[in-house]
Amino acid sequence: MEAGLMAKQAVVAKLDAFPARSLGFGSSVRGGSGTSRIGFEAPASIAWRKRSIRVARNGAIRSEVVVEQKASPPRKDKAGPGRLYVGLPLDVVSDGNVVNHGKAIAAGLRALALLGVDGVELPISWGVVMESGDWSSYLAVASMARDAGLDLRVSLHLHSHRRPRLPLPKSVDSAAVADPDLLFTDRAGHRRADCLSFAVDDLPVLNGRTPMEAYEEFFRSFRLAFADFFGSVVTDITIGLGPNGELRYPSFPPTGSNRFTGVGEFQCYDKYMLADLKQHAEETGHPFWGLSGPHDAPGYNQSPDSGNFFKDHGGSWETPYGKFFLSWYSSKLLSHGDRLLSVASEVFGDLPVALSGKVPFLHCWHNTRSRPSQATAGFYNADGRDGYEAVAEIFAKHSCTMIIPGMDLTDGEQPQGVRSCPQKLLSQITGACKRRGVKLAGENSSLVRVGTAGFTTIKENVLAENSRLDSFTYHRMGAEFFSPDHWPLFTEFIRSMAQPEMDSDDIPSNAERLSLSINSVPGNDRELQSA
Amino acid sequence: MLLVRWKPILHCPPGEHPRRGLAWPLGPRRSLLLRRPIRSPAPAFLTISSSKFSQAGRARVRPIVRAGLAQTPSLADVENTEILFSETLPLMRSQTVEGKITVRLDPTGTEEEVSKWRLTIGCNLEGKWTLHWGVSYCDDLGSEWDQPPPEMRPPESVLIKDYAIETPLKRLSSQSERQVLHELQIEFDSNTPIAAIHFVLKEQETGAWFQHKGRDFRISFTHYFEEGNSVGGNQGFSIWPGAFDQISSLLLKAEESTSKKEDPDDEDGNAVKQKRRIAPIYKEFPILKEEFVPNHMTVSVRRSDKTDKNIVQFDTDLPGDVVIHWGICKDDGRKWVIPSTPHPPATKIFRHKALQTLLQPKADGLGSWGLFLADKGTSGVVFVLKLNEYTWLNNNGTDFFIPIGSVSSTTTEIGSDDIVHEQQAGTEINDVRNSLAPNNSYPLQNKSLETSDPKNINSLPMKNQGTEEAKESVAYTDEIIKEIRHLVTDISSEKGKRAKSKEAQENILQEIEKLAAEAYSIFRISIPGFVELASDSELMKPAVKLSSGTGSGYEILCQGFNWESHKSGRWYSELRDKAKELSSLGFTVVWLPPPTESVSPEGYMPKDLYNLNSRYGSLEELKDLVNSFHEVGIKVLGDAVLNHRCAHFQNKNGIWNVFGGRLNWDDRAVVADDPHFQGRGNKSSGDNFHAAPNIDHSQDFVRKDLKEWLCWLRKEVGYDGWRLDFVRGFWGGYVKDYMEATEPYFAVGEYWDSLSYTYGDMDHNQDAHRQRIVDWINATNGTAGAFDVTTKGILHSALEKCEYWRLSDQNGKPPGVVGWWASRAVTFIENHDTGSTQGHWRFPSGKEMQGYAYILTHPGTPAVFYDHIFSHYQQEISRLISVRNESKIHCRSTVKITKAERDVYAAEIDGKLAVKIGPGYYEPPNGPTKWVVAAEGKDYKVWETS
Repeated sequence: MEAGLMAKQAVVAKLDAFPARSLGFGSSVRGGSGTSRIGFEAPASIAWRKRSIRVARNGAIRSEVVVEQKASPPRKDKAGPGRLYVGLPLDVVSDGNVVNHGKAIAAGLRALALLGVDGVELPISWGVVMESGDWSSYLAVASMARDAGLDLRVSLHLHSHRRPRLPLPKSVDSAAVADPDLLFTDRAGHRRADCLSFAVDDLPVLNGRTPMEAYEEFFRSFRLAFADFFGSVVTDITIGLGPNGELRYPSFPPTGSNRFTGVGEFQCYDKYMLADLKQHAEETGHPFWGLSGPHDAPGYNQSPDSGNFFKDHGGSWETPYGKFFLSWYSSKLLSHGDRLLSVASEVFGDLPVALSGKVPFLHCWHNTRSRPSQATAGFYNADGRDGYEAVAEIFAKHSCTMIIPGMDLTDGEQPQGVRSCPQKLLSQITGACKRRGVKLAGENSSLVRVGTAGFTTIKENVLAENSRLDSFTYHRMGAEFFSPDHWPLFTEFIRSMAQPEMDSDDIPSNAERLSLSINSVPGNDRELQSA
Repeated sequence: MLLVRWKPILHCPPGEHPRRGLAWPLGPRRSLLLRRPIRSPAPAFLTISSSKFSQAGRARVRPIVRAGLAQTPSLADVENTEILFSETLPLMRSQTVEGKITVRLDPTGTEEEVSKWRLTIGCNLEGKWTLHWGVSYCDDLGSEWDQPPPEMRPPESVLIKDYAIETPLKRLSSQSERQVLHELQIEFDSNTPIAAIHFVLKEQETGAWFQHKGRDFRISFTHYFEEGNSVGGNQGFSIWPGAFDQISSLLLKAEESTSKKEDPDDEDGNAVKQKRRIAPIYKEFPILKEEFVPNHMTVSVRRSDKTDKNIVQFDTDLPGDVVIHWGICKDDGRKWVIPSTPHPPATKIFRHKALQTLLQPKADGLGSWGLFLADKGTSGVVFVLKLNEYTWLNNNGTDFFIPIGSVSSTTTEIGSDDIVHEQQAGTEINDVRNSLAPNNSYPLQNKSLETSDPKNINSLPMKNQGTEEAKESVAYTDEIIKEIRHLVTDISSEKGKRAKSKEAQENILQEIEKLAAEAYSIFRISIPGFVELASDSELMKPAVKLSSGTGSGYEILCQGFNWESHKSGRWYSELRDKAKELSSLGFTVVWLPPPTESVSPEGYMPKDLYNLNSRYGSLEELKDLVNSFHEVGIKVLGDAVLNHRCAHFQNKNGIWNVFGGRLNWDDRAVVADDPHFQGRGNKSSGDNFHAAPNIDHSQDFVRKDLKEWLCWLRKEVGYDGWRLDFVRGFWGGYVKDYMEATEPYFAVGEYWDSLSYTYGDMDHNQDAHRQRIVDWINATNGTAGAFDVTTKGILHSALEKCEYWRLSDQNGKPPGVVGWWASRAVTFIENHDTGSTQGHWRFPSGKEMQGYAYILTHPGTPAVFYDHIFSHYQQEISRLISVRNESKIHCRSTVKITKAERDVYAAEIDGKLAVKIGPGYYEPPNGPTKWVVAAEGKDYKVWETS
């Protein structure tokens, strides 16, 4: 396989020559949609390579394993889903830039490794690390993962968190204090501290530098610090595209609730957004449309019917103004995503890692015509339009994998009255990606809600023929994750994921699920021993 | 393993040195057991090389391979029949070859050069022999070897570390008169200050070591003093056993044959002039070397036209009498069944289980043959070979299996099983002993040697393909986590392609759960308020959350017996009279003593699990008792002793490990790692209780039987739950299994190990101790609680030494299990072991009520000991229980420690109760909540909100 071969060469060359960027084929690998494969070939071969190297280190005692591993096909070829990851706690490195409960993380990593999980996701906060430029804590966590034999997906978060507290860099904060309009702003004038407004992406607002330049600096700093990990441990880099790390506007209420089921609000009221809107309105010949956002949109927690804008029938969204506004609003989001992914491609393009980005899973009100919660978040996916096509196109352009959270959600268990339809939304997004050749990865919405049923849904979604996820990341490690209420469910899930097509006679009875089926199948025993 | 006994041979070459009758140190003439090292690199044998059996018997007939078969005389009978199956099984038989090692010491110099000597060591057996040798010097009194001086080293010598050298023996082109095949000559000068030469022989091909009576050979040149006591003095040579610490491998023993020689006459007069005198020596030592002889056995199956039976023909070239120990299998099972008559001639029935048929010698005298009939409907013939009383041949630890007819499953059982692993492990233990105790000239007998039930036979040493796996599971370290992880993945993902031994898998699963539990506890503690949050959310749930680990959450446990309760013989009826009283005191659960027949009267050495007549009373009385408790609303816990079980019978070695009664398990049900009981199960998944055979819970049949038994107890006796004895002895995951199968109302396990002390002073931080208990609870998936031994231990120190500060951990939480996982902690201060008449770990005397004031006000499920209930403490205990119930304190209540100082500890529980223990002063703050005293006693006080 050509791609596989190239990836391997890339790995080898990288190991030899890094960080010199002398690899001519780097860009060619990443151009064109067909080569998006590379992102997934590479980790597979890396994983294979890495393993044999490690084993060789212990060669004296266990040389036979080397042979075994060489003989076994690359892991990618295994039946079932792609790789399985578990997210590390968001505050695995705290806002003081120290590793948080490292002992627990170490034990947890080993447990996951033994269980057969492929890797972990490491969230890296812009604010924590760029404060001092000190990567040692994150590197320490990466080393722990490496030592446990786990791969690493790194998420580069460009937004802030309230709980656990993970702020933006101080320099950004102080710039925002000096000019609050750098932050997203809602109709009531509330500043949203989550991240910088998309409208200032290319304005020199941070001590003469643009946010995009600052993002790039962060990326490059990461690349330099993690030089030793690419190609051996780090397999994926996820670019935080907006609030919550997702490509979206912070349309949810400022007090932030995960259970938020309202329509949300447009976030176009900082002076830079408004200026852009004004300019855009004037260019299209409707200067009056550029004075403000829609006046008849509902509030954060209201239903679509409470204002006129999102009414299913006769709502303003269907008027020329509505169309004008929604196109502009969503295009700002798309161009932000496009710009950021361009920067990321440029910084990371020659590395043997896969790039990915996350889109929000806005399933509430999906069963309406106006799809208000998607609209306020920046997805113009109203009746008659497919808002996700354009998104998929951008991801395709940058050979970026699209991460979809919410793999655990089903239509049935959604609250009544919010006209939610996660399954339909999921198939819309996966359809768009499939048409554009964009790879898909999945996440769960939240650990709290995942019960036995949630895991069943995840399994169905991950294994579904038409979606073919390349990886699934389970969020997140923490006390609840390891609690006796949750951990057994998770282990069972992992085991069943790894063995999706068991014959009925091989499935141990419920009581013995964990004790495996070896004894009941004596034939297997024999093969093992002659192996 | 072949066991050979032989006697020492006295070998005295006649007339060679007739003059001198020398005091020759004769070794004790013992018979020795010859043992072949299992770790020798001999090829795998007794292995059917591949399963060549045709997939669909009839369709693909395989011609008989061996020409020899056609010569067997009786083939005419069956010649026209269809061959359904034929297979030649290669066999490896060990055979002992006797040979000798010769040691000769000659002078090589002329009259003037009397100091030149030559030591010649020879061996007359085939093989690649190497002399592993060293010297000791005169001034060195230690027992260590040294390397010989360079001039002494023959060419081709290899230095071994810094204390020995190895020199290969040369094969002689022409055999000498003594028929020495291999020889090595070492030249040396007797003036060098060498006190002795030490050596052992090594045979490179088998890796076997040859020693002299369990020690190295030693040729000693003792001092000879000039003063002339030479005449009466000992002559300056002898062979002594020397130390041989360096080689830790298996050693073959050679019995000294004590040939001896004397000094030549003419040397006598020169003795005074020599500082040291060396005399020529010639000695021979017989040795036994085991060799492997390839043999084979051809088995073919034909259809008989005359009868409706299949004819199984055995043909082998094994010499001597060969007995086939055989049976047939019906259906798919592997259960041995005796075939119907007629049996072949010379057949005996062995213990109603199998037939033993002596094969007839072949006409040419090379081997023997036999024809057996197997009934229609037989799925296969199982057999092992018996060569003599001590020698059996099996198929790598399992029976040979020959499929018959058009049976679909036509694979032979190849490969080994756990038995082989165990053998391997056992061998290594022996090795260690040999190397640690070089004085032990008797090799340890391998236990399987004397097993005579052929189904248990496992007697031939073998190196098989499973060895690596076995080692893998043993050598489990952090280092190999990645590989193990890989294997785990493989187990799950590539079903059937690879697997691991069950033991290794369980090690991994246990490790995973342990790690998860560890991560959980750290995360939980490091998140402030997490525990409270969890409790809150649990509080908001429906009032009663039933779980076998907690019961209703409001349980108060009574231990309904003490160490003396068996004495009256009618404890059940005595306790029955107290049922009402216990109920009125507020107890909701009672724990009864172990009900089974037991070797010890107290019940903790159970024997026949289904015999419930014990020293406490009969089964009927027990049922009555349980009913009486149920009538007054008390749930009843049975004391289930699952860790160990006393055997009914001895095995061949006189070891008690064969069970009787309804659960007539054999030694497969016994864990392998307690040498006292020679179990053939897997290694224990926990600690061993050394007084009785520990049950191997990893065996499916054991777990199935135990589940059945527990369910039977629930149904028959009416038990509502379990108190599980000595759960340290096996993995908590099995307990989960049992709990899920028996769905108890309440269950608690006794995980008792010692706390950590530094210089006799108990450490403040007992997190490691409670962690182990929490780990166990976690492994049970929370299906069982555990006695909070940590809390008891900390109370001991706090009360005894007036160190009440101990009652708060670093996070300001209770320092016992109750501080980490209150709902699964069963707090107690005394039980039949710690207190009663045993008093293994008695609660500080006179301070019991402080202990009860603590556990009866705090979360967790408190347990009160019988002796305390029926003592002068009853009033106070009763009061505390009613306070607990009135305030609705439950196992998940929250504790706020308000004071933990030298002489006083105080806490508020759920904001409803305040408690202080210790002589110091404490009054709860009177703010918005008004506290009124609810109970009071010596050094404790309890308040409730008014």
